[in-house]
Amino acid sequence: MDLASIMYLAVTFGLFVIFALIVGNTYKRKNKQKKEAPKYRMMDDD
Amino acid sequence: MGKPQYHTDIVKSFVNWSLVWGVVAVLVGVIVSFQMINPDLNYPPYFTFGRLRPIHTNAGIYGWGVGTIFAMFIYMVQRLCKTPLWSLGLARFQLWLFNATIIAAAVTLLLGYNTTLEYHEMEWPIDLMIVVLWVVFSINIIMTIIKRKEEQMYISLWYMMAALIGVAILFTVNALAVPVSAFKSYSIFAGTNSANVQWWFGHNAVAMALTAPPLAMFYYFLPKSTGVPIYSHRLSIIAFWSLIFMYLWTGAHHLLWTPIPDWIQTLAMAFSIMLIAPSWGSVINGYMSMKGQWHQMRDNYLVKFLILGITFYGLQTLQGPMQAIRTFSAFIHYTDWVPGHIHMGTMGWVSLVSVAGIYFLLPRIYGREVYSIPLANLHFWLVVIGQLIWSTSMWISGILQAGMWNAMNADGSLTYTFTETMVEMYPYWWIRAIGGVIYLIGILVFIYNVYMTVQKGKEPAPKLLEVEGRA
Repeated sequence: MDLASIMYLAVTFGLFVIFALIVGNTYKRKNKQKKEAPKYRMMDDD
Repeated sequence: MGKPQYHTDIVKSFVNWSLVWGVVAVLVGVIVSFQMINPDLNYPPYFTFGRLRPIHTNAGIYGWGVGTIFAMFIYMVQRLCKTPLWSLGLARFQLWLFNATIIAAAVTLLLGYNTTLEYHEMEWPIDLMIVVLWVVFSINIIMTIIKRKEEQMYISLWYMMAALIGVAILFTVNALAVPVSAFKSYSIFAGTNSANVQWWFGHNAVAMALTAPPLAMFYYFLPKSTGVPIYSHRLSIIAFWSLIFMYLWTGAHHLLWTPIPDWIQTLAMAFSIMLIAPSWGSVINGYMSMKGQWHQMRDNYLVKFLILGITFYGLQTLQGPMQAIRTFSAFIHYTDWVPGHIHMGTMGWVSLVSVAGIYFLLPRIYGREVYSIPLANLHFWLVVIGQLIWSTSMWISGILQAGMWNAMNADGSLTYTFTETMVEMYPYWWIRAIGGVIYLIGILVFIYNVYMTVQKGKEPAPKLLEVEGRA
């Protein structure tokens, strides 16, 4: 495996880790209210 | 604290001009569909299929699609950020540049100046105009978001930002070219690299111009129309990020069975299949948001447009990944099946959601109720029936075409000549053209309704402004 392939895999894995962190943070139980708040706020009268 | 003073005149202007270009796009589409049936309708050199077809696609994507994006983004960003647009002057400049660019594109394409890159046919001077246009628009929207009074961003803002950044990167990279004269340039990419970059742009233009912005609109206008918040904001965030991570890898599925490296084709195929998940994350979120509200499909015309729109999005994002599988692609690629697919997305998903947005906006930007809800319902049925006739005829003819192309005799020779396969297409091309005419009539009903709303619509009752669209 050459350096380019290793870099390619590293970037892909890095993106996966970032995505996993976003999922973890979004669905963390204590964040539920905070993460759902915008859907109620946007309903305010324009 | 008083309500901020939002800018609405500029939204009106973008809505009006996007409607003009939308009519042009559909009208030219109908003309080219008849040119395919009757070649005598080609009048060289200007009014030929080869010159009119890119005008149809560019007027549709950049005139109608992007024009509506400009209107909706400017309307939504102010309300979601609870702050006026950062610069009205910049938006006015953007309006003029937008129309100048579309006119310049139409004229040069008619004259035969064409890069031959699909959906990127305009030559380098017009590319420069588009880049300036998009940068001006992006600065205005992003600065408004930075100045926002809301701490947390609603999902529509995320999709808007993705579209701004995505289109900027895709368009600029694919536009890299060496000019050799005022209206001729050569791409800096060559051979398989050129094909790969072109379809990285081509497919992701669908993602960033025809998927992310309509999703931003859908997430905004569905709850505003039903009066009920979306089912899950967290699901929308996960669907957003997974779409962003996956979409940009899929462009090479347009190049299956070509000389580009095999691993790129496989990667594109795999990511295309995975893309079903984020797409359906939004579809399910839309359907779940209707829990207890399905009766509104009967009595709220806006909901009909939006739910049928997201349904076509769901079907589109199942059909697309299937087409990205090597074996299926080998059968249907280059056949009429493919325009059937893309028109379900443009005439179904993108246009239905955009139209719902415009109907929603009318009372708010013109201060008048929509002139006729029965006409809006007629418009709905005409465009849905027209689109279904259009796409279904192409799927059937595509399968027939593929079957005939692949048919072989016992000695390995082809059963049918290419001309024989063409002759078999004529009945389906007639059906397609009729579907297009029905769709065009639907659009004209819509334009009439908008015009009459502006001229004769009643002043809206305050209650109606809260939840618009109930019949």
